[in-house]
Amino acid sequence: MDVLSAFTALEQGPIGTFVKDKGATFATIEAVHLLALAVLGGAVFASDLRLMNVILRDVPSKIVTDGAHRWFKWALVVSLITGFFMLSGIAVKCYHNTYFWVKMTALATGILFAFLIRKPLLAGDHAQLKPITLKLVGLASISVWFIVAASGRWIGFS
Amino acid sequence: MLERMLSDFAHWLAAQQGSINLHESYYMWNWMESTHVLFLMISLGMLLIIDLRMLGLCFTDIPASKVADRLGKPMFFGFAIMVITGLLVFYSVPVRYEHSIWFRIKFILLIAAAINAILFHRHMNRSVATWDTDKKPPKRTRVAAALSISLWVGIVVCGRFIAYDWFDCGPDLSPFMTWATGCNIQ
Repeated sequence: MDVLSAFTALEQGPIGTFVKDKGATFATIEAVHLLALAVLGGAVFASDLRLMNVILRDVPSKIVTDGAHRWFKWALVVSLITGFFMLSGIAVKCYHNTYFWVKMTALATGILFAFLIRKPLLAGDHAQLKPITLKLVGLASISVWFIVAASGRWIGFS
Repeated sequence: MLERMLSDFAHWLAAQQGSINLHESYYMWNWMESTHVLFLMISLGMLLIIDLRMLGLCFTDIPASKVADRLGKPMFFGFAIMVITGLLVFYSVPVRYEHSIWFRIKFILLIAAAINAILFHRHMNRSVATWDTDKKPPKRTRVAAALSISLWVGIVVCGRFIAYDWFDCGPDLSPFMTWATGCNIQ
């Protein structure tokens, strides 16, 4: 089964039908997706701006990044679940939408970066890392999640 | 009386050249609306993290006043951008928004959230010294934080629902909704 067939089957399947057929279902899922995005944004900005030495400078960065990561994970899970339901309702449109694929690429990059690079790197003593490394990690993280959110918003316009 | 004033104001705004230009500019409207939504990540994001601290669910090793103070600055910056872009979005489609039930509820919730924030700020200034480092702040603080989160959930939901035309003015609208949206005045 190719990707288009899979997307078509998803949209025509029970989940896609459920999301599309009731007027308020898609809108409600969108609202929950937005709220999860806000929590994700709060966790990302709080920890990454600390890594970049912009806020909470007098608090050890490890306390901030560890404290924010738990909420980042929850927000990501809710975003992924609601995002899947939203995709189900408009899967074929998304397949043909460039911004959807930009978002998926950025999302995959963001998840891999968060769990395979950022998390292991920040697991130890931050004092052992160069300040420029911490700043670049923060900047990269904010950038990738901003692209995820911005390209996601643009799906609706195209 | 109030409905008439609001309706007249919305129609006057809609007749302005700036409003027409924004409304007819495809990309400008998209940029304004996208900026409005994206700054949710920094404004509401920071606010939710502060409220979670006040509930004793996040950053419990950091004094509550420090979290509120340090995250408050980027939060206010984000809200400033949201207010500017929100006003521009309203300016571009004033008549429809003025008659939107979701916009009306959102506006009331925004006022309620602002009052809650002011009262909470006063309460915090008075008493924070006694619970600043507590992992779980006192009940009154937690209630205010829970109320803040609830109000903002409502604001986001209403904001998202504005885009849908379920209750737009028209012959199919029920008498109650016609009254609640002020559609009988326009």
